[in-house]
Parts: sequence; C-alpha cells; structure tokens
Amino acid sequence: MRFYLIVISLLLFSLGSCNDGNRCYESVDTFMISSFSIDGFKNIKTLIIKGINKNDVGDTLVNDDQTTLTKRYPLPLSLSADSTGFVLTANGKTDTLFVRHKMVIKLISEFCGFAPNYTLSGSSYTLGIDSVRITDSKVNPQSIAKTTNDQNIRIYFNAAH
Amino acid sequence: MIRIFAFILTLLISTLPVSSQTKASPWRYEGPRVGMDLSRYLLPYMSSAKRNGWEIQADFPYKGNFFPTVETGMQWFDDTHSTFRYKNNGAYARVGIDMNISKFESLKDHDFVFVGFRYGYSIFSQQSENITNSNYWESINTNLPSHLMNAHWGELVFGMKGELLPNFFFGWSLRAKFPIAVTKDVNIHPYIIPGIGKTGGGTPFDFSVGVYYRFPIFRSKTIPKVLKMGGAKHPGLNDGMDQEGQGYGGQRSGGSGSGSSGGGGNRGGGGSRSGR
Repeated sequence: MRFYLIVISLLLFSLGSCNDGNRCYESVDTFMISSFSIDGFKNIKTLIIKGINKNDVGDTLVNDDQTTLTKRYPLPLSLSADSTGFVLTANGKTDTLFVRHKMVIKLISEFCGFAPNYTLSGSSYTLGIDSVRITDSKVNPQSIAKTTNDQNIRIYFNAAH
Repeated sequence: MIRIFAFILTLLISTLPVSSQTKASPWRYEGPRVGMDLSRYLLPYMSSAKRNGWEIQADFPYKGNFFPTVETGMQWFDDTHSTFRYKNNGAYARVGIDMNISKFESLKDHDFVFVGFRYGYSIFSQQSENITNSNYWESINTNLPSHLMNAHWGELVFGMKGELLPNFFFGWSLRAKFPIAVTKDVNIHPYIIPGIGKTGGGTPFDFSVGVYYRFPIFRSKTIPKVLKMGGAKHPGLNDGMDQEGQGYGGQRSGGSGSGSSGGGGNRGGGGSRSGR
C-alpha cells in the first residue's frame, strides 16, 4: 500500500509539473462579413472600399476589379466609436455607408486573449445605395467562418451604378 | 528546485519506521484528521502565471469506512500576457464524503484506498487590466473592473491515505470536477476558478497531495469491515456466493461465525472481534 502511496504521489507531482504551453487555435480578428450587389442583378465590375477619413497609402480595404454579380468582403469595425463609416466606390460611383453598433470586448481564451464582439443596430447611407439589410447582427471572431452565402450585412447599390 | 525538495522529502518520509504498527497496543485509535494540501504550494512552479494558495482538509471517521470531509482554501492568480493581465482571487470550500474500499488488515492498519464525492462552492473576484487590441481603425487599451462571482461544482474523488508515522498521514487524490453553475460575466468567462482550477476545455482534472494529523480521540477494539457493494441477488448464483460470504465471515470472526445469512455472519464477526 505504501509503495503505491509514494510512487503515485511522485507521479502526480511530475505530471502536474508539465507545462501546457501557449497555444491559440482560434480566430481572434473580428470582421463584419459584408456582401455587395446591384439592385436589378447588374454586375459589379469594380469595387473599392476605404474607411471614412482614411486616405493614406495602404488605407484601402478592398480594391477588386473582377466582374461578378455579388462581392463579399470582411470589413473591420471601429473599436472605440459606436458607428463605423465606409466609402464605397462601385463601378466608379462613390457612396458612403455608416453602420451603427455596440461593442463588448470578450475573452476568447487564456492564450488567445480578448477580441471585440459587436451587435449591429442600424445603418445610414447615401442615395447611391438602394438598401442595407442586417442579416446577422452578431459580429464576432467566428463571423469570418461564415459560409459563402451567409453574411452579417447585405448592401444593395442602386441600379444606376 | 521545489520538485527535487519534494522528492527528497517524500523519500525521507517513506524510510521512517512505522512504529504505530510495531507497538503491541490492543486498541485501534480513531479521530478527526486535519491536514494541508501540499500541492497548492507547488502551483507557482507549475505554470507561467503567478498562482498561490493554501488548502486545509479535515475528515472524521464515521462507522469505520466513511469519512465525511471538509476542505477549504484560498487562491491568488495573476496572469500576465502580452495583450492583457488577468487577476482572479477567491476562497472556496468543499464538503463531501470519502468511502474506504480497501480492507484494514489489523487494528493498527489505517491505510486505505477511497472513492468519494464533493460539493464545492467558491466566491471570487476577477478583473483584467491592460487589455490591448488593434485593427484597421485604431488601437485601444482598456481595463475591466473587479467583478464578484461565485461557482458551484461537484467532484468525484479517488485516492489513498496511509499512516507513515503514528497519527501522521500522507495521501493523494485524483479529482474530476464538474462545474454546475458559474456567475455570468459579459466580458470574461473565468478560465480559472478557485477550488476548481483551470476550466478551459472538457472536464477539469486536479490532484491533491497532502499531509494530515489524526487526533486519536476515540479507541476501539474492532476493525471496520470491508464494505460490500450491494446488488441484486440472482437465484442461480446465490448459493455459492452465500457460502463464500459465510466462510469469509467465519474466518474474520475467528471461526465462530455461524450466521444463516451474510449480514448475520458479519454481525457475528464484529462481536467476536470486539471480544478479543
């Protein structure tokens, strides 16, 4: 009995000393998955997206000149403000989109740290945008894993684009 | 360094004479056993985070093979990462019972293997500082204030305790922990809880290695009987099993056990031992 008592307690000490390492296997970046299309099923030939008041070199979020019916991009949201503005240039015509949101910073895990989690509450936009539909108001680090036909927000440009 | 120290200490203890079993005293001493969990003092050396704590454990013999148990302790946790610092401090208590599943060989034999369960409760505070995050728009640095929380959980325990010196016990236990309820915090689900340990992923497992002192308050001349696990009696098997049970009871009672049932035989055995 005493043999097992001693040996197993030594084993437990040595097992307990094993370091579990620093590993993060989860997504830590939060993006709003956005899809773009033109009302009336016209092709989007070019799409350029920048953050509002972001005009420096390297501030362009999207510069896509591949002609497609629908485009889908992950867009970052502001960490400190309660709304985020984007300047959208589709087929050469420029519009502005504001998305309102609330942000809560959440711990993902010990090794991944914190990431922002948003709840989308509304939007406002200029006349070149026909409508904006929030399809999933929860924006979190898992949003990036949304399937091809899923998104957080759908933006429909006017047919005039 | 501490691991080497623990190893040497354990070896020294194991080489000491077990005088409690060599003395020819006809009494079996029992009483409350109080001790401390040594593994809590090793925690700072087992992870990169600062983790300190203490734990006191006490049990009390009940009907020979049962040991109602109370455990209480505190923990301080301070974990600094490149993008945040997390603090978690609190106290906890567990109540439960251990059940001996081994056989005491003699009046002086107090070594036992046990299984048991615990109910645990913890009250703790958590906070986080220097949380940094950055993206295309900006970088932020924020703090989350202290939030008082509590947790309830259950534990299944398996372990051993042995008397290495008279009234001094050494023991270990393995514990599987099952969180029942934890206060919700919109920002942080605690990844460590005082009394439970790390909670990330699956069933938390923990171990405990402790030293204990038994206050020899009570004495008796009976050896607690081996617990028999209950089960349905099957007609085809009962005859043989009953015979074995009677034979066993007879051996332990010095050949005088002649009860017509297993339970009667055991009671007879106990009576003859107390007369020794």
